[in-house]
Amino acid sequence: MAVEEKIDLATPVERAIRLLSTMGLDVFDVSAAYSRSLSIDILGKGIKEAVSRTDLGIGARVYKNKGMGVAFSQSLEPDDVETTIHRSVSFAKVAQPDPYFKSIPGPASAPEIQGLCDSEVFSLTLEDASELSKRMLDAVEDVRLGAMYWGGLGAIHSRGYLMTSTGVNVDIERTFVSASVAPTYREGEDVGSSYEYDYATSLAEIDFEEIGKRAAEKALEQFGSKRVESGVLPIILTPESTSSLCFGLMAAISGESVVKGRTFASGCLGKQIAPEILGIDDDGTIPGAIASSTYDGEGVPRRLTKVVSEGSIMTFLHNSYSAGIAGVETTGHAQRMGYGGYVGVGPTNIRVKPGESSIDEMTAETKRGILVTNASFFPNMVSGEFSSTVDEGFLIESGEKKHPVKNLMAGGQVLELYKRIQLISKEGRTIGKGHFFPAIKIDQVKLAGK
Amino acid sequence: MRDLLESIIQRGLKAGASFCEARFFEERSNSISIENGVARALGSGILRGVGIRVIVEGRWGFASTNVPTKRSLERVLADAIGGAKSIAVQGGEEAKIVDPKPTVDTIIHEVKIDPEDVSPEEKVKRMLEIEKAARTYSDRVKDSFVSYRDVLTKVVVCNSFGTSVEEATPRSYAYCSVIAKEAENMQTGFESVGNVAGYEIIETLQPEEFSAKAAERAVKLLDAHPPPRGTYTIVVDQKVGGLFIHEAFGHNSEGDLVFGGQSIVSDKMGQKVASDLMTIMDDPTKLKNGHFVYDHEGTKAEPHIIVENGTLVGFLHSLESAAKLGGEPQGSARAQSQHHMPIIRMSNTYIAPGDMIFEEILEDVDLGVYLSGSQYGYVETQKGQFTCKVEQAWLIEKGELTDHLRDVAVNGLTLDALKNVTAVGKDFKMEMPGMCGKGGQGMYVDAGSPHVRIEGIVVGGRK
Repeated sequence: MAVEEKIDLATPVERAIRLLSTMGLDVFDVSAAYSRSLSIDILGKGIKEAVSRTDLGIGARVYKNKGMGVAFSQSLEPDDVETTIHRSVSFAKVAQPDPYFKSIPGPASAPEIQGLCDSEVFSLTLEDASELSKRMLDAVEDVRLGAMYWGGLGAIHSRGYLMTSTGVNVDIERTFVSASVAPTYREGEDVGSSYEYDYATSLAEIDFEEIGKRAAEKALEQFGSKRVESGVLPIILTPESTSSLCFGLMAAISGESVVKGRTFASGCLGKQIAPEILGIDDDGTIPGAIASSTYDGEGVPRRLTKVVSEGSIMTFLHNSYSAGIAGVETTGHAQRMGYGGYVGVGPTNIRVKPGESSIDEMTAETKRGILVTNASFFPNMVSGEFSSTVDEGFLIESGEKKHPVKNLMAGGQVLELYKRIQLISKEGRTIGKGHFFPAIKIDQVKLAGK
Repeated sequence: MRDLLESIIQRGLKAGASFCEARFFEERSNSISIENGVARALGSGILRGVGIRVIVEGRWGFASTNVPTKRSLERVLADAIGGAKSIAVQGGEEAKIVDPKPTVDTIIHEVKIDPEDVSPEEKVKRMLEIEKAARTYSDRVKDSFVSYRDVLTKVVVCNSFGTSVEEATPRSYAYCSVIAKEAENMQTGFESVGNVAGYEIIETLQPEEFSAKAAERAVKLLDAHPPPRGTYTIVVDQKVGGLFIHEAFGHNSEGDLVFGGQSIVSDKMGQKVASDLMTIMDDPTKLKNGHFVYDHEGTKAEPHIIVENGTLVGFLHSLESAAKLGGEPQGSARAQSQHHMPIIRMSNTYIAPGDMIFEEILEDVDLGVYLSGSQYGYVETQKGQFTCKVEQAWLIEKGELTDHLRDVAVNGLTLDALKNVTAVGKDFKMEMPGMCGKGGQGMYVDAGSPHVRIEGIVVGGRK
């Protein structure tokens, strides 16, 4: 990132705030962001291209008589900023009063979360990145030669600046590194293909060789996949599949949709949805973790939130808008994508409480079932129904992993899956120093096959 | 802007690039969100910048910026060249292209009503009328949402072969979603329209054919049943047929996935890959949501035949895939923004019509599932396994539609499914305007089909 420019974000934001202050608005906020990223793209025989990007922009969210206008621009030039501001205000004047809107948060201070910026990322060059990518690919080839690839390595350094009419004034700076590789091997018409990844705030957290090695081993395990009969069977979710199940629930308990009664989890606050062994925390304060930050997208301090405790949903996740509807304080989960202006709600680091079991124990006690290593259990947010392909998985018979499966779907109501959780493993996968997902065994899942 | 881009290209050639391409991108959009009778938010955005792509020492380098000034672009060019050099010492996928025919042109798509000529107040009034038809359809309608979006995308592509092409494309969209509720049961219905068009498609929209339809679907789904599970004969409507062909096969025909070893049909050119009844096309010249005249490498768009009467006859090509696979570029490379390299994308993808009517397609089905309305899908091209989520379905019993079904998704293996197509209707429609995601980029596409019958598809269900 040696050629990074020193872009001043504060001046255009402060100029925009001064202009908006003269316009007779209810409340408003302005955010600007700058990022510099490097990436190595992998396709086919290996490294395909080297990419660098510089992105910047400014966005405003303004309220006039409780109507919202939003505008953004990928330019910090004074004339463009002024045009963007005028556009947001003219739109707010046309918008109608939102009966649910209360206000936006005021200032609050919080101790800075450490470890979110890695100086190694600042000094990373494309030569370095291509060398790291090569190490990842070499690790694949150490397991077996002959793969064709898809994947890449990305590193980004971003800065943001948020000011509001209510006195919030927040600087955000962080780094992000990601790496992934999907090798595909072919033996005649048979295909062995899989995917491995990692992401973190710092380069040192990523083990590029391990990603390559695991991807190759997983790909080779996929040879000889077979169809299996339809049935009602237990499934064991590996940590990667558990993450999909958890992100679905987090989406269903987040923001205005849940408090306006529009998700399958709207009636679940305070209710037990799973056995007491299930606990899920959301913690945006873990030093060096991928989804940590000192403040959320509205300048509210991040915190530790007990989301599910002993199987019961303890709270929904809020920004100021949804908190206002629910009549509670915001939980500090406002999510703002760069300079876009709109503010949503999303989880931070999701940590599922470890259990007492292990994947080996879960497998050994299963007469017939499916080990799900890759699948999306993201349900219909309104009805909670899901119908998902087991993208990668294995048949378990008599306590042993037999063969990979294909052309198999799991279906049902996602809250039924939570009710039928039987076991949670003590080991699991930590991702980006923040998320933690164990393996989970779920009984009596409806599977559609041959 | 063209002069600036061309001067940067000359500078790139002098610095050792064997190919240099500079692409200006600008996208201006406006949006309105209506919720339960309230226009709660209006928004606008401007994306603007330049992406520069080079081949140096036989490798690709790409860099981009939002600041399209001479000084900034010189720095971006240096980044792109430095990038290519940085990977030159590593093995991997070489950069290779066919020599494109130099083209100089300017395309401005005409519209009947420029969205910029319609005031925000007037747009809000119109969208409120459309939303009201959904909200008042039934007392079982719990929530109704309507959104509006207009987008004007301007792309200028210049390259070192002398191509200098500019295309400005307006698009307009309306989207409606409705939640119906009875006791604890909640269901949703959707409708969307969108095209390369101006405000005229919004002005002529009939609420009873649009938002009221979405409401009707949501309300009727309250009484629908969960689907059966297992392997069935399915009949798909035009939207599901479009989704099926986009996901199950279209991605597999993208030349970058083919030369990258990620496609299930990479070694099947000239071979039978589908039933004789199947002819599959991708046609950016059709005036639908995936329409354009020049792709983002400056290649003039032409219709592509991918499968003809069941035989694989073509892939979708960029300059690079045409060189590596031995084809002709016909305009399939597009980029989401200045920050993205052009990659191979479908445009308007479809199954060509056959000669059967809907009743004939149904009549031989003893027990099956009729799928209607598409939600989303995805495919693992390297394995040839696809998943399609649909809006609603019906059980087919002895050739008749019986139980109404909800929350249905299907899964299949591409090559099996294409060979198991046993009927293709004559009732072709293309009405699935949407965005397709690939490699971190979203792109405007459309898809269509007539009614089609496919044997041996897994239906994921609860019963």
